[in-house]
This record gives sequence, structure tokens and C-alpha cells, in this order.
Amino acid sequence: MKRRHRIAVVAAFLICAAGAVLGLSALGTASEGPLSTTLGWLGAATGAIEHRIRNRLRGTPRRSMLAWLEPYRTSTERLRKPDVTLLGAFDGGAPRTLDGVLALEARVRAPMALMQVYSAWGDKPEQQFPVSVLTAIEGLGSIPLVTWEPWLTDFESVRHPGIALRDGRDQHGLAAVARGDYDFYIDAWAAQAARFKQPFFVRFAHEMNDPYRYPWGPQNNTKEEYIGAWRHVVDRFRRAGATNVLWVWSPHVAYEYWDLYYPGDAYADWVATGVLNFGPIAQWSRWWSVAEIFGTKYERLASFGKPVMIAEFGSLAVGGDRAAWYRDALASMPVKYPAVRALVFFQTRDDQTVTYQKVDWTFTSDSLVTQAVRESLGWARH
Amino acid sequence: MRPIDRIAIAALAGVGIAGVLRLADWWFRGDHVGQPVLFVLLSLAFWYAVWRIVLGWVNYVALAKPEHRDALPGRSVAIFTTSTPGEPLAMFDRTLEACSRICYPHTTYLLDDTRDPRFRELAERHNAVCLELLDVPGAKAGKINRALAATTEELVLVLDPDHMPFPEFLDRVIGHFDDDRVGFVQVSQAYYNQARSFTAAGAAEQTYAFYGPGQMGLYGHGACVAIGANCTFRRTALETIGGHGIGLAEDLVTAIRLHAAGWKSVYVPEVLSRGLVPEDLGSFYRQQLKWARGVYEVAFTELPRLARTLRWRQRLSYLAIGTYYLFGVTTPLFLIIPYLFLWIGVQPATMRFAEFVTVAAPVGVVGALLYLMMQRWLCDRATERGIHWRGLALKIACWPVFLAGTLLAIVRADVPYIPTAKEAVRGRFLRLAWPQLLLIAVYIVTLARVLAVRISGTGEGSLELSAEAVWGMMAFATLPVIASLGAVYAAWESRRMPASAPWDDIDVATIGGRDA
Repeated sequence: MKRRHRIAVVAAFLICAAGAVLGLSALGTASEGPLSTTLGWLGAATGAIEHRIRNRLRGTPRRSMLAWLEPYRTSTERLRKPDVTLLGAFDGGAPRTLDGVLALEARVRAPMALMQVYSAWGDKPEQQFPVSVLTAIEGLGSIPLVTWEPWLTDFESVRHPGIALRDGRDQHGLAAVARGDYDFYIDAWAAQAARFKQPFFVRFAHEMNDPYRYPWGPQNNTKEEYIGAWRHVVDRFRRAGATNVLWVWSPHVAYEYWDLYYPGDAYADWVATGVLNFGPIAQWSRWWSVAEIFGTKYERLASFGKPVMIAEFGSLAVGGDRAAWYRDALASMPVKYPAVRALVFFQTRDDQTVTYQKVDWTFTSDSLVTQAVRESLGWARH
Repeated sequence: MRPIDRIAIAALAGVGIAGVLRLADWWFRGDHVGQPVLFVLLSLAFWYAVWRIVLGWVNYVALAKPEHRDALPGRSVAIFTTSTPGEPLAMFDRTLEACSRICYPHTTYLLDDTRDPRFRELAERHNAVCLELLDVPGAKAGKINRALAATTEELVLVLDPDHMPFPEFLDRVIGHFDDDRVGFVQVSQAYYNQARSFTAAGAAEQTYAFYGPGQMGLYGHGACVAIGANCTFRRTALETIGGHGIGLAEDLVTAIRLHAAGWKSVYVPEVLSRGLVPEDLGSFYRQQLKWARGVYEVAFTELPRLARTLRWRQRLSYLAIGTYYLFGVTTPLFLIIPYLFLWIGVQPATMRFAEFVTVAAPVGVVGALLYLMMQRWLCDRATERGIHWRGLALKIACWPVFLAGTLLAIVRADVPYIPTAKEAVRGRFLRLAWPQLLLIAVYIVTLARVLAVRISGTGEGSLELSAEAVWGMMAFATLPVIASLGAVYAAWESRRMPASAPWDDIDVATIGGRDA
């Protein structure tokens, strides 16, 4: 071989090798290699194909009954300004099964257009982009809502020398997010979100103004740091082409000054809050109606000019008439609170995030409550 | 062997072992434990398999080939071959003729207890000495010891009666005895009937890697073993251990005792004779049962007794040999796991399949690369190279046999000594294939049930989320079913007897060797 041939061969080899390396690393995420990421998508695709085959064999799949939702489900624009109110649910069976949501909608005879899952930041396989459950929700014809929780301490220091040591990581952790310390994770998640293509909601760092609950609260961060982190995350997603994500800003309205955490019109698509009646089981709580929890804050929430979501909606059984609670809240919802465009039932049997004992938010085993909910949801049937 | 090859093998094995460590670190994470009892069983089965792979690598790293030494004249050599009642005369005709064609001066002895005058006649026609040894306990080895007492030759080649040696056999072997510490010299084994049936092809394939890189690695570790046939012993070596070992694994027992007594062994990786492999599945299973039962004597009796005088590399090699048939215990564990999950939802481990593939892939890739690389050291590359899938299918099919051998060894029960059949024996299909047919039946029923449940018993909200686990397990159950088809075919083929005996078309003058 002549000298220039040799140089050409070597150059071609180097270019191919570099391409292969870059391609492989683009396929994978920081915490997951390219092979496991690909296999994860492959597994989800297998499930989707099986689901489609079964739909052929067995007539009316759920998806066909949600045909009215199709225009919304596939359009980020429509979901930004919806002209209908969407019901949804989080069921404790997720991400293992979504049958609980289907059972709920059968009991109350109203379609759950949104299905919520919770996804934490971290290195573990289950803390990566939840492709299988999102694909499954899509297969059922619903729209995924991911509550995305920045648990910074779930990253191993050894694997990420660029981030602060675990002990001090939560202190001004959101400033580190805004600085780009966690872009390795955000970018990987964003790339897969873009690859998912279908519109879905992301409720990032919710209840950021509650100083007792989550590490991303004001005990560790200033509101400027919070807003900086939010905008940084949204910018990273936009840069990755994940324009199919709808951003849900979700403060805890029981605490003062929550509206100061608003990241700006250009950075939030929806505003949301939780409406959970703990009744008298917690010291700080008593039997509160929806008007008391939510009604007093509604005007301010609606004033942002964004659709409003009640992202966690439910009541415990002890301390009052649960059927009446639901009836009062639901029957008048579209009239009293017209800006509310989504309401997500919180249905889990063993919640211990707030209290020190397990509490049961489900109501489907209580026929009186189920009946009350069913009768109050006339407006939600399509 | 070129240094570059040795470096390449060592480097690959190093990468593989790093992969194994990473795999272990991942495998034994606390949150991977599903059903604890099953997790332990699965881990034992899985890590036994990995351990076998690693042992193979350790063996390959030591790969060595002895330098040829010319056979000096003046050694006295005996060839022992044994005949027992029922063995076909025509086969001995060829074996003894081949012995008479061996160039190096020697005396052939036929150790006979057939009480059939035609054998004596045959021996005399081929210039062999017929030693009639009646009612000797200890089967073949017993007769060898009796014949040793009746003869005086310095070196003794123990030849299986189905093996036809090439004329240069002794010339390739004798020179190694110039080293006074060499107690025995083993040569490769090859066959002339492997094309006659699926079983024969599979059985032969199972031996290729062992008689090539396997024994060469053992030789490198100073532990190449005697294998019943075609082994040449130094008389004084056998005398130091009180004669040839007796029992189902008489060859291995003899080898380990000689090594423990300080004798060296040499492995000549050359095809210097061709013999028979079992042609029908029944005979193959009987041979495998005999071996499985016999080999445990190494692990249970000889190794604990002799370990102190063996070098550590020899200990490791004999441990590897002595535990080979545990495969029969681990295979059913692997077989049953998908069915436990698909029928009652029990899972031994909560691992993500994707992650397992990722972590296990380096080990698999290194294993495959070394497997392919090792093909360069097969004894007869032209006929032996390739993917030995028939051998693998038969090995998987053999698990009930290996399991039986293991259990018999644990309870110290005997398998009657049966010489491996020289001619195909007609077997009944169902008798031979029922374990595989049962597996296939269970598989089909399971598949039908899974399909029924997936079509109408699974909630739509669970369908997609459970697809990966269910179909992954189904795929896991499919692999052994595909493998079992080989054994089913072999059993089907074994229903009819071949029209001719394997040696009918063999001309001793052209069977092989340099002159042919």
C-alpha cells in the first residue's frame, strides 16, 4: 500500500471507531449501558406488539373506547389548552400493573384519561426513564403523567465524581441541578423522553415549598435556586428535542408564598396541586372539605392563565362522611372551578409518605363512596 | 505453541475472569433475591456452570504440546487387548491385524475369557499371544493385572479392542519414556464410525475438545489423564501403585495414583488409532452412566486420599474432572425455573433480564472466542472443527443419566460393569426418549396455558407490563426444548439396527497413519 492509502485506511478506521463509540454512548444513558437501554425498549416493544395482537383477537380494546381522547393524546398543542376536563388516577399497583386504574374506571364508569406514575432520580435500573410503563399506558390509550422526583442522594458518589458528596448533596442541591451537575442524568432521560414521541406530562419536583417533606424543599434551597433548576431542566429537554413533554408545576398550596416559586409562563404548561383530606389522623389535620383545601387557593392558581390540575385527589375514611366529601367536591367541579382541566384520583393502599403509619386512600371497596363518585362524574363521560 | 498464542489466550482468559468477577458482584446484590430457597438453588446451578467455564479457561492457559522424541530401539513392549464373551470376532480380526502391522517391535497379547477357541485361533493367525484368563475379578483391569504378572515387557500399551492402531503408533510414543520419570503416555482418541448415526456424531463431538485442548491443558498442568484406551504404561510405574486401578473409572484412578506417586504423564495429541463410539442412544446412555458413576470415585475416594501428595494444579484438574457430572444436578434446576414462574408465579431472582444480558455478555463473548480459538488445537482439525451442537444436544439430554450417576455415587451404589457396546443395539423409542418427550409435552401444555391466560385471563392493564417477564421465561423454556429435539431424533434413529457392522467396510491397511 502506498503511504497515502495507509493514511486513508487509518483515518477511515479511526472515524468508524469514533462513530461506533459515540453511537454506543448515545444509545445508552449514564447509569445504564447501551445494551440494557436497547433491551429495555425492546421489552416494551414486545409488550406493545403482544397487546396489539390480542386486540385483533378480542375485539373492543380499552383504547377504542377512548377514541374521543385521541385528538388530545396525540397533540401537545391541544393538551396545553384542553377544552375538556380529563380524569386520571394513580394506582398503587403501578408500575407492576395498571389493572387497578381500569378497575377504578369500571367502578365509577368514567374514563381515566391520565395515568400517573412516580419516578425518582438515581442510579438504579428502576430510576431510569420508565419506558415500559409509559408504553403500556400508551397501549391502553391513556396519557402518562410522570411525577419526577429529584432525590439527589440516590446517585452513587463513586460513579459520579462530578457531583457533591452525598452528605452535603441536598444543601442547595437545586443550585447544583441548575449549574448542570446532573445533566448526565437529565440529558439521558430527556433523550429517551424525546424518543417516546407521544405527549406526556412531567410533574417535576412537586411540593417544592413544603419545608418538611422532600429534600428539594425550602429547608435546603432558595426559591431562586428552585426556579433556576426548573428552567435548566426544561431547557435541557427542549435542547434534546423532547417537546412532547408538558411541564406541570405543582406547589403545596397549604403553605404561604407558594406562588413565588412559579418558574414563568414560558416554562410551565400546567399548574397543579394536591387535594388530600387526611381527616383527623394527623396532628396538623382535621376533616377538611375540598372548598377548604382547594377553594381558597383556586383563584390564585387559575390566575396564572394555565390549565389547573388536581394531581392527587382523595380523602381518607376516618373522621367524616367520605361519600359526601366526594359528592360535594366532584358534582360541582366544572361549575365552581372551571379552570380545573384535570383531576387525578390518588388510589393507593399503603401510603406512608406523610404519616408514620400506612394509610389507605382507595375507596373502591366502599360501595357508598363508589356510588357517590359514580353519580357525581356525569360531566366526565364522553 | 507460539508465544503470541499463549499471550492471546491468557489475555482473553483475564478479561473473562474480570467479567466473571463483575458478574458475581452484580449477581449477589441483596435486592436480587426473590424466593430465597430457589435463589440459592439457582445461584448454585448458575455458578457451577460459570465455574466449569472458568476451569476450561484455566486449563487453556496451560496448553502445551510435548516435543516429539524418536523411539530408540531396544525397548520391550507389550500390547494388551481384552476380549470378553459376546464381543464380535470380526472386530478382533481387524484389531489384531492392525496390531501386527505396528512397526516398532512388540508382542501383542489377547487377554481372553470368551472360552471360544476361535479367538485363540485368530490371535495365533496374527502372531499374537492368547492369554486365557478365566474368572478374574475386576473385569478388564483385573485381567490386565493378571497379564502383567504373566509377562515381563518394560512398557505396556493397553489398547481397547475396538481401536485399530496405526503402524507408527509406538514410534510416536516410546521416545517419551526416555525420561525416567514418565509413568504413562496417553494419545488422542479418534473414531471411524462417527458418521453412522446422530448419536455417534454427537458422542464423538463431545470428545473432540477434550482430546484436543482439554488434555493438552491438563498436560500443561502436569495432570493429563489416562483414558482407558490407548495408554502406554511403564511396568515399574504400575508396580509402585500395586497394579492397574480397578472399577468403573479404572483409567482415572490409575492416573491419579500414578501422579500422586510422583510419576509424570505425557499427552501426545495425535490420532494414532481409530475406534468406535456408541451408535445408538441406549448404548450411549449406558456408557455415560458408567462414566458418571465412575468419575465420582475420583472426587469421593482418590482425591481426598491423595490430595496431599499431588501438586495444586493437579488437585484442581482432578477436582474439575471429578465434579464434571454435577451437570446432571444443575440442569433440572434450570429446566424447572421457567415452569415455576409460568405456573405459580414463583421467581428465584428479581433480576432485570436486560441487565443480566448486559453483565453476562462479556463472559459469554470471551467464552465463545476461546471456544473458537481452541479449535486450532483439535487433534484432527479437518474432521473435528465446527460448532459441536450434536454433542451439546446429547449432553443436555443426558442429565437424567448424569443425575442417576451422581445419586448412585453419593449412596455408593454400584452400576454393573458393562463394556461399552461395540455394535448398535436396537432400542425402543419411548424407553429412550421419554424424558425429552415429557419435557416437550409439558412445554406445549405450558405454552397453551400461557397463550390462553394472555388472551383472556390477563387484565389489559397488566398485559404490556408483564410481557417481558412472561415471554422472557417462555424463551428460556424454549431453549432446552430445541436441544431435546436432537435426543428425540437420536432415539428415533436408534429404533432400527444398521444393516452392517461398523468395521465391515474398514480395511486395516488404509485406516490411517502415515503409510496409508
